[in-house]
Amino acid sequence: MTLINEVYRQPLDPGYQDVAARRAAGAAPPRTIRGGAALLVLAVLLGAFATTSAVALRRPAPAALEARALLEAEIREGTARADELRHANAAVSAQIAQLQGDAASTDDPELFAQLQRDAVAAGVVPVAGPGLRLVLTDGDPSDGTAPDDGSELVQDADLQVLVNGLWAAGAEAVTINGERLTSTTAIRSAGDAVLVDSTALSSPYTVEAIGDAATMQTRLARMSAGQHLASLAQYGIEVRVSAQQELLLAGRGQLTLRSAQVLGAPAPDAESADGADDASSAATAPDEQVLGARSPDVAGSGRHDGEESR
Amino acid sequence: MIAVIGLVLGVLAGLLIEPTVPANLQPYLPIAVVAALDALFGGLRAYLDGIFDERVFLTSFLSNVVVAALIVFLGDQLGVGSQMTTAVIVVLGIRIFSNAASIRRHLFKA
Repeated sequence: MTLINEVYRQPLDPGYQDVAARRAAGAAPPRTIRGGAALLVLAVLLGAFATTSAVALRRPAPAALEARALLEAEIREGTARADELRHANAAVSAQIAQLQGDAASTDDPELFAQLQRDAVAAGVVPVAGPGLRLVLTDGDPSDGTAPDDGSELVQDADLQVLVNGLWAAGAEAVTINGERLTSTTAIRSAGDAVLVDSTALSSPYTVEAIGDAATMQTRLARMSAGQHLASLAQYGIEVRVSAQQELLLAGRGQLTLRSAQVLGAPAPDAESADGADDASSAATAPDEQVLGARSPDVAGSGRHDGEESR
Repeated sequence: MIAVIGLVLGVLAGLLIEPTVPANLQPYLPIAVVAALDALFGGLRAYLDGIFDERVFLTSFLSNVVVAALIVFLGDQLGVGSQMTTAVIVVLGIRIFSNAASIRRHLFKA
């Protein structure tokens, strides 16, 4: 308590009092020019120091800024590299498709046609045709038309339900923001964004599906997916559906199967030595692969229906 | 008078030149600013009391800043830097408050 009393009762530097007393007694030291100059220099230095400190404190710490800039640069660099690799991948895939086409169309037109159909179903090659375009836009909580608790954002489940509905309605190829969906595509959430495979997408989400637009629209409206889309309006999510005369959907590029084995297919190293006879069995094998791969989609749509009824 | 002119010049110089503070001095800046504020309020009160002295003012300014920074530096070395900062801020804060109260009594007679 003594300490606090002392601090509180005598906040003024006792020096002021001492000097005043000495001056009153006539014992104050005389002022000199040199002393005045020293005081001036000291005052300038102290003022500059205090101002500099205050200014420096108002700036954000340079270390934090540096780290942030570094991370930003790394992210930009990584994204650029990923884009570059994706472009290279697409170019090589196109080349592979071209070479395969050249080889098969001259040797075996039937096999080439089969290959083309399978490539479309597998989502490997770009396709064009009439279809539906659906644009889902996140709700905007700022104008009060949407809740501000995260439910105004388009969720991965919304896109899953929509895509499954489109497949079930007869879509032949589907993209989300230009990402072609294949049999191995995953749609999931990561924070506010939706990941399609490993590509982060953000609102607005444009889902394009090639197929008969009128039929798909009618079937979609009758399915639970249609009801799901309609129910999104209460979260402020805008869904616009439009029929398109001509859609161009990008291909996924060459798919690499890591674990799946094609039933009845010859071993990869024996394939080169195969004659025309084996080629027909190889031609049916991708069909099985595609059928087998597509069935999870159908199963998936059933699962989502189940989830909705919960 | 010299001290006030000098301080104003220093503040202007600091604002215009904007020198950069070395990174290892950064932790002591807040405490130095509070110590400077304490000296300023003390000087203003002494002026209103009629016992202002430039030499005492500038010496207390300098010693406040240096001692406050030293205490925090010592605290940092002992691993109690943030507690030391708190202690210095509390003491200087109380002094600033009571000086400000005294200045208020002088100015408003209340």
